[in-house]
Amino acid sequence: MSFTGAVKNFGAVRAVDGIDLAIAPGETVALLGRNGAGKSTTISLLLGLNDPDEGTVRLFGAPPERSVRAGRVGAMLQEGRAVPRVTVQELVSFVARRYPAPMPVARALQLAGIAELAGRRVDRLSGGQTQRVRFAVALAGNPSVIVLDEPTAALDVEARHAFWASMRSYARLGHTVLFSTHHLEEADAHADRILVIDRGRIVADGTGEQLKRSAGGSLVAFDLAGRSTAGLELLPGVRSVEVRGDRARLRSDDPDATVVALAGLNAIRGLEVAPASLDDAFLALTAQVQEAA
Amino acid sequence: MLDYLRLEVRRTLRDVGFVVGGIAMPVLMYLLFTNLGADDGGWKTGAMVGMAGYGAVGSALNTGGGVAEDRAIGWLRQLRVTPMTPRQVVVGRALTGSVTVLPAILAVLAAGGLLNGVRLDVWQWAAIAALLWLGSVPFTLLGMGNGYRLTGQTTGVANMACNLGLAVLGGLWFPITLFPGWLRSLSAYTPTYRFAELGTSVADGHAPALGAIAVLTLWLLAFGSYAVLSYRRSGRTV
Repeated sequence: MSFTGAVKNFGAVRAVDGIDLAIAPGETVALLGRNGAGKSTTISLLLGLNDPDEGTVRLFGAPPERSVRAGRVGAMLQEGRAVPRVTVQELVSFVARRYPAPMPVARALQLAGIAELAGRRVDRLSGGQTQRVRFAVALAGNPSVIVLDEPTAALDVEARHAFWASMRSYARLGHTVLFSTHHLEEADAHADRILVIDRGRIVADGTGEQLKRSAGGSLVAFDLAGRSTAGLELLPGVRSVEVRGDRARLRSDDPDATVVALAGLNAIRGLEVAPASLDDAFLALTAQVQEAA
Repeated sequence: MLDYLRLEVRRTLRDVGFVVGGIAMPVLMYLLFTNLGADDGGWKTGAMVGMAGYGAVGSALNTGGGVAEDRAIGWLRQLRVTPMTPRQVVVGRALTGSVTVLPAILAVLAAGGLLNGVRLDVWQWAAIAALLWLGSVPFTLLGMGNGYRLTGQTTGVANMACNLGLAVLGGLWFPITLFPGWLRSLSAYTPTYRFAELGTSVADGHAPALGAIAVLTLWLLAFGSYAVLSYRRSGRTV
């Protein structure tokens, strides 16, 4: 799937402001951004629910609507609610039969973790169960690409874990998954690649590890015990040095090498090594855009 | 599309509100209105057609309520990301309406024949059922026009207003001969009066007048255009 210079306005609001990106088959990609960053609009362009005002969007090299009609896409949209007066089995098998090569309904229910709910009415399930029915609906047609818009919004912790386990087992079958979220940990834990979106633009694109590194690396802190700070900034991997009282705080791109070097200096006292959090990375990335704007 | 029709018909028949309001109510009202007070045989037949028509109009409009509900919960949007085309969805919905009007028509006719002793020839029974069935199409379109244009709640209110207003004005509840003259001449232009006329003329043993078919056709075109315009407008938001 690809976006080339895609722009979408709603009235005076520029929801998507020139997105370029390409996603290869088999990737699991997170679209990470705060509320109102343009995630849902990006997804609606990708699914052909809206047309871009400028630029182009392609799915399997064709306009999205055509790929959707060909049954190559499944989606779980934001704010979909339970369909009243149908059973889980009826709903999922109805959607499955719309596709040219669906998976068996029992398989879809099993992947979504709701096999035991097949005979229940959809409008009598809990929020977490409804969400997984909607996931089963998205994958019932066995599409090559599945798009999930904020799939875990309004789920409790347990339901969330169960949901991601389901998603991973689907992705392992070699399908492409794109999901949007505003939870950093979810993007980090469940995607191979994270696209950070802010104000309708992609501001970062990489693995969680790469994003963390770009935000300034890990923290290596130790007690100076009277030692001079001279030369610390020359140690391997170190990007910056900060001293608070008698404690040095180094930002390092390669904390392992930094620690080995510190050990060589016999400087390890009260050592603490902490990974950069994705929170830091996310704030740094989106702050840059705010300054530029 | 047959699959979609089957799904939606099933969903409609599981709706308690539909079964009570759209099927049971017309039957009860028919039995009530025809068994209170003085009885002349003609009223039992006339009221049977009127109430069957009233039930059909209510059921047809109910299709629009279903559309509004499905828009609100995102089900129509979900269908847009399946291989179904928008045309299949909208035609499937209209066909759903044409199936779900049948229970009300058949239930009231059955009440007339079995409980109220209405006697007609077999061809008359068949023709009345068939004409009421076909004649309900404009009302399905009116309901869909409301459903695609308005929110769930306002669709309910609009459908109810259309249903009661058109039923009373068109003489489905009380014969328009009880109306003052000016109201009677207005009734002649309502779709419901002409709709019931399809059935009452058959019950009287003759084919519906051309005037009835002409007026109903005009309403069909008007409600059909309304449905198309509403549908087009909703295309951006569904």
